[in-house]
Amino acid sequence: MSTLRRTTSFITFTLIEYVRSGRALLEMLATPVFFYLFLWRGVAQLDYFFTTVGLFTLALTFSVTSALFRLGDRPQSYLVLVRRISRSSYLLGLYLASLFVVLVYYVLICIAALLLQRVAGLDLRNWLLGSAPLLLNAALFGALLMLLSPIVLPSGWRLTILALGAIALSGNLISGPMVEQLGSFNMVLDVLRTIFSTPLVPAFTGFAMAISRDYGQFGYLILIAQAALTIVLLALAVYAFSRNDLIFNSN
Amino acid sequence: MLAIETEQLVKTFDNVHVLRGLDLAVPTGQIYGLLGLNGSGKSTLIHLLLGFLRPNRGNVRVLGEHNPERIRGRVGYLPERLRYHMRYTAREYLHYLGRFSDLREPHLSDRVNAELRAVDLLEDADRMLNTYSKGMLQRLGIAQALLHEPELLLIDEPTSGLDPAGQREVFQLLSDLRGQGHTIFLTTHMLDEVEQLCDRVGILFRGKLAGELDSWQLRTTGHNVQIIVASMTPELMLRLQRLDPAVRCQGYEIRIDPNTPELQAAVLRLLLEANVSVISLKPASRNLENFFRRIVSGEPTPTPESPPAEPTPTPESPPAEAEPAPAADVAPGRPSTGETLLRELLSSEQARWRRPDQDQE
Repeated sequence: MSTLRRTTSFITFTLIEYVRSGRALLEMLATPVFFYLFLWRGVAQLDYFFTTVGLFTLALTFSVTSALFRLGDRPQSYLVLVRRISRSSYLLGLYLASLFVVLVYYVLICIAALLLQRVAGLDLRNWLLGSAPLLLNAALFGALLMLLSPIVLPSGWRLTILALGAIALSGNLISGPMVEQLGSFNMVLDVLRTIFSTPLVPAFTGFAMAISRDYGQFGYLILIAQAALTIVLLALAVYAFSRNDLIFNSN
Repeated sequence: MLAIETEQLVKTFDNVHVLRGLDLAVPTGQIYGLLGLNGSGKSTLIHLLLGFLRPNRGNVRVLGEHNPERIRGRVGYLPERLRYHMRYTAREYLHYLGRFSDLREPHLSDRVNAELRAVDLLEDADRMLNTYSKGMLQRLGIAQALLHEPELLLIDEPTSGLDPAGQREVFQLLSDLRGQGHTIFLTTHMLDEVEQLCDRVGILFRGKLAGELDSWQLRTTGHNVQIIVASMTPELMLRLQRLDPAVRCQGYEIRIDPNTPELQAAVLRLLLEANVSVISLKPASRNLENFFRRIVSGEPTPTPESPPAEPTPTPESPPAEAEPAPAADVAPGRPSTGETLLRELLSSEQARWRRPDQDQE
């Protein structure tokens, strides 16, 4: 209970710092601009709505998570961590704060779309079916960004993870004559691609489900897979952060 | 019980050895000063004690705990640089830090007000920290370190980067802490700070504890004595210099080199007879400075084996015969001869002031 109270206090503390730093202005301005550009001009279909809002939410997650983890990567944080805030509470506090900001903007966009009647067929059922995988994707992406933040992993590990991600996504880049030139190496690449792209399946399938809102027979398993993958990434980040030397960026 | 204990502590950054087998023991209730040159590893040691860094080898025990997570909230920390969350008022900031330490209302508000008052920031408590001066920020730093009433206080270069006024303020606050029974571990490269504040001083050099001194060793009289007086007439100067060639006067400064207790007493008696106020009396060559210099230059340093029989003489049992400390700066000796003579002087002055009253009676 005390841990929860301390973590909640830390989330509030971080959010106040984020707002007062002026960094929040970027998202505050970007959200209405997004709404004006993509949803203002006419009544959108649900597919279009969830596609654009889904992509904007990911961009927002990137922007907010990066900003908050930069705020958390300063020597000021030593004074927080010397108290009863554990390293895991500290890291999860930063993560939950960024997720909270994303959620607030997402809800604001949806409320605006509903009140201004910019989306056809946006009822509670459709909203829940579309929002659940989108928000889980935001949580998953946020967890990945947290794992890749400099306070969690050293640069060598971050580069390795990015390289694995590049291999996983290389199917779209390597095709045609290039495949023939690679010869037997392409087989090895195929195997690696299959292995490393497997964790991405829940994310991509979740996005597709949000657009179609068609969960089929196993749709709920995708939601569980998204949540499980998020938890795995969070656990990895917390584990790495708890074993690290804490050397915050002093620039 | 030991507040801090390290055994063969090794810390390396990118193959650069910062600490190379540091053995350190700081008992509870003591103010321990760790002196070292810039970059000698003092801040690294504090971060190791706090668990921010992990040792490559060796053991760290703080308040009897190996696990740094278990000392959270029991330790106060004042960082070297004035880096605080500047977008809060002092009151807001302390409230949040208090909540992170599990303090709850109404105790939290009481503690925040008490600490703000103690560091004289109560009137400025609702100003944003980015409007504070460096001295104010460092005072806030002391307040936050003491907010949760820690058992151990780790202070990293407390006066670093402060102007003389800020340094005086912080020094005064730390002096006040002396009387409150805190265990304090202080790192600095300022000799004055440790000389005046600490019960024991260690010198960190080349990643190891190169030497330690106790406060009684710091305060033993040096071979030379410097006396500063409030006024000096040419006649008095002449009388003083006639006492012995070892006595030299310049302006308001009297130097006795070499010093003997008899000569020092004679000088003080002359000053008393001439109604001249003594501003200060101190060893002209400082033990700690010499000790530190010897270690840094690699000269051998004599290590004291035991403290003197009477480290702090009481008025009831003054040392029978006060002798000046031997030339070796860190060798054990009797407590400050100058202090003893000053006490004599004071009691004689008190007697002088008391006499008219007694006459009246």
